Amino acid sequence: MKRVVSVMALVALVALGVFSFSKVANAEEIKMVGVITKIDIAGKDAHSASITLKDNKTEQPVVIIVNDDLTLDKLKDHRIVEGDEIRLKYEVIDGKNVSKYFRKTAGC
Amino acid sequence: MNKRSLIIALSLVALAATVSAGEHPGRDFIEKNGYKGPATCEECHSGKAREFLSTVHWKHASKVTNVDGLDPDKEYGMKNRIYTMCNGNDIVNNLKEIPKSPETGKTKFVGCNTCHPGNHLSDVGSTGPEAENAIDCLVCHSADYDFRQRKPFKDEKGQVIMGQDRSTKAALAIGKPTAKNCMVCHETAGGGVLIKRGFAFSGEADVHAAKGMVCVDCHKAKNHKMPTGFDPNNWANDGLRLSCSDCHGDKPHKDADLNRHTARIACQTCHIPRTGGAIAKDFTRWEQGADKFYEPTTLKKEANETVPFYAWYNKTVANTPHLIGPKGDRKDKNSKIYPFKIFQGKAFFDKKTGELLSMDFAPPMATGDTLAGVASAAKTLGIKEYQPVPGWQTIFFGSNHLVTRTKALSCEKCHAPNGVLNFKALGYADKEIERLTNADVYFEKLVQKQKEEW
Ligand code: HEC
Ligand code: HEC
Ligand code: HEC
Ligand code: HEC
Ligand code: HEC
Ligand code: HEC
Ligand code: HEC
Repeated sequence: MKRVVSVMALVALVALGVFSFSKVANAEEIKMVGVITKIDIAGKDAHSASITLKDNKTEQPVVIIVNDDLTLDKLKDHRIVEGDEIRLKYEVIDGKNVSKYFRKTAGC
Repeated sequence: MNKRSLIIALSLVALAATVSAGEHPGRDFIEKNGYKGPATCEECHSGKAREFLSTVHWKHASKVTNVDGLDPDKEYGMKNRIYTMCNGNDIVNNLKEIPKSPETGKTKFVGCNTCHPGNHLSDVGSTGPEAENAIDCLVCHSADYDFRQRKPFKDEKGQVIMGQDRSTKAALAIGKPTAKNCMVCHETAGGGVLIKRGFAFSGEADVHAAKGMVCVDCHKAKNHKMPTGFDPNNWANDGLRLSCSDCHGDKPHKDADLNRHTARIACQTCHIPRTGGAIAKDFTRWEQGADKFYEPTTLKKEANETVPFYAWYNKTVANTPHLIGPKGDRKDKNSKIYPFKIFQGKAFFDKKTGELLSMDFAPPMATGDTLAGVASAAKTLGIKEYQPVPGWQTIFFGSNHLVTRTKALSCEKCHAPNGVLNFKALGYADKEIERLTNADVYFEKLVQKQKEEW
């Protein structure tokens, strides 16, 4: 087993060296974990939602704009609801906090 | 530009197909009579509910013939398996209200069998008319499901029920399952979004998703039996298998050099150069969250963020307390080189027997006391004496989604000295390796390609 693991580590290192298409981390992205306190979304056809979360670290409310279809769908069919804890990344664009990543922390 | 218009054309075709497939012929009946559960569907689709009860999606178990150390007469699956991606199962971590958090006085409902399309009273593997009537047909078949309904609650009698959306509104949106219907459960397996298998099914991440295909275009269910492949960690199966070659054949390339490789190298090896999801978890030490409940400590990665481990695989599986992984080698002509997602989980083993112990999540979730979780599981299983010691288990997961064409491994990704394959570990002799990692193997070809591209 030990050998398998060390071979694994080696292969992983070698492979990392060969690939070049990993995403470049964006310096402007802010990471946060928080609990949803309010969801504003204008019906089934909405292309955007405004979500208020309480930041776990600062305990302050933060308003996030969600634009991506996958997350919007989860808000519309209530797979994501108030009280859910979210791990998210956002960027400040024109003074608005725009979500770049929005995931429930829990699963089954 | 050609490619682009092809893709657009294809998605239009896909769109047209969904529209013209049109309305479910049972719609008027359901509108008039309301939805009363599977009995409504049975009016026209007689026998579907009973048929569903015999599938893996209801039983979370089946006989398993390709894994070491299993009893061929018994059934195995998420119902009863003990391994370190979940460490609990439907039996020891049965859905229930957990003890109150000593810090907040709050409780919640937790259990592995929340990923089951029943109502918990008719649970994993149950049979008979009541079970037939408990099936949540709409979680897979409705495009208008309200997921606020699909959560556990206590009824007047104090029984824990798994809720369902049985509204007529949801039943009016019947169709073939979309990727979302399947991802409701598959995306959140293993303790969070994309934790277990780490595959996102989006246009950016997968060529098939980009072309508008959905899960059941490949996983074509027959009488609700769902075809699967040979992921070393996906044991339960409905007896139907699928593979890339079912649709593409063994020689799918215009380039004969690529086609020559398919005899010893699986399609996935070149076409799925990345994996994702959790890389390691510690079940012996849980972390406290903002809500003061505890969760297993988990190292998470995104889809496409981690690299696979490459090994020979003949579709039979090594299964020991510390390793679940592929068997096979170069000399075995049934073996091919496959990519695997590697995961390591730390949990308690019984010092007496060496076996992995399982865990009921209710106690540790409330208090962080993981040994209380082991004790509760042992009690459920009737294990009286055991000595828990922490240890690691390595699991090789199949890597069968996140298919790419543009990032598929080209010649030098394997044949350069810093290629992704460890030829030595794969059983090649030094002489062969010298030849296989020499630019001679690909130089002329890639020069030609370079000329064409520029
Ligand atoms: C009044 C009759 C009737 C009722 C009630 C009814 N269906 Fe159907 N359904 C049909 C007919 C007819 C078809 C088309 C032929 C076929 O596939 O059997 C169909 C097709 C389907 C299909 C295939 C759709 C596709 O696009 O591939 C699914 C799935 C389905 N029904 C599910 C259900 C479910 C779930 C229920 C209960 C909520 C239900 N049906 C209730 C008559 C009915
Ligand atoms: C209610 C939750 C749920 C839904 C919805 C669901 N699955 Fe599953 N699925 C599971 C669980 C849990 C297992 C693991 C069973 C086991 O290993 O014991 C599983 C196993 C599988 C397997 C491997 C075993 C087999 O039956 O071949 C495949 C393939 C699969 N699912 C595909 C799908 C597809 C495709 C859909 C959408 C049509 C879907 N699933 C919808 C929960 C779900
Ligand atoms: C785990 C997901 C799942 C659940 C739950 C489920 N189905 Fe299906 N069903 C499927 C899949 C996948 C297909 C095949 C779709 C295809 O390939 O077009 C299917 C096909 C069908 C079809 C059309 C084809 C056929 O086999 O006749 C009917 C009718 C149907 N289901 C009815 C039901 C009814 C009624 C229930 C509840 C008793 C139910 N389904 C529960 C996944 C599910
Ligand atoms: C392009 C075809 C294709 C599509 C689309 C597809 N799968 Fe698969 N899937 C496969 C193949 C092929 C395998 C098994 C290959 C093998 O083991 O050799 C597989 C295996 C699986 C397994 C078994 C575990 C594993 O990862 O090997 C599950 C579960 C599964 N698929 C679920 C899904 C779900 C859910 C979706 C939709 C979100 C989906 N699949 C979409 C082709 C597909
Ligand atoms: C159910 C049939 C089916 C299965 C199973 C399947 N595919 Fe595909 N695949 C397709 C279709 C259809 C397309 C789109 C073809 C097109 O548009 O030219 C496609 C496209 C592709 C492409 C892109 C081709 C291009 O020209 O851009 C690749 C690469 C590919 N598949 C590889 C795989 C691999 C690897 C697997 C196994 C993990 C697999 N496929 C499983 C049907 C399938
Ligand atoms: C040795 C690596 C390798 C293996 C093994 C491999 N492929 Fe490919 N495949 C590639 C590369 C690289 C391309 C891209 C070629 C290009 O775009 O010029 C490709 C392209 C394709 C295409 C697009 C058609 C074409 O000719 O470009 C399909 C479809 C495909 N592969 C499917 C498969 C299937 C199915 C398997 C398994 C039977 C498989 N491949 C095995 C490397 C591989
Ligand atoms: C996934 C890694 C991988 C990729 C990508 C790949 N190869 Fe290979 N290649 C191998 C392996 C492994 C063998 C040995 C197969 C065997 O044991 O028969 C091999 C064998 C060969 C051989 C036979 C060498 C000998 O003397 O035995 C040639 C020639 C070759 N590859 C050329 C190519 C070319 C050209 C490409 C690009 C089109 C390519 N390979 C892409 C892994 C790869």
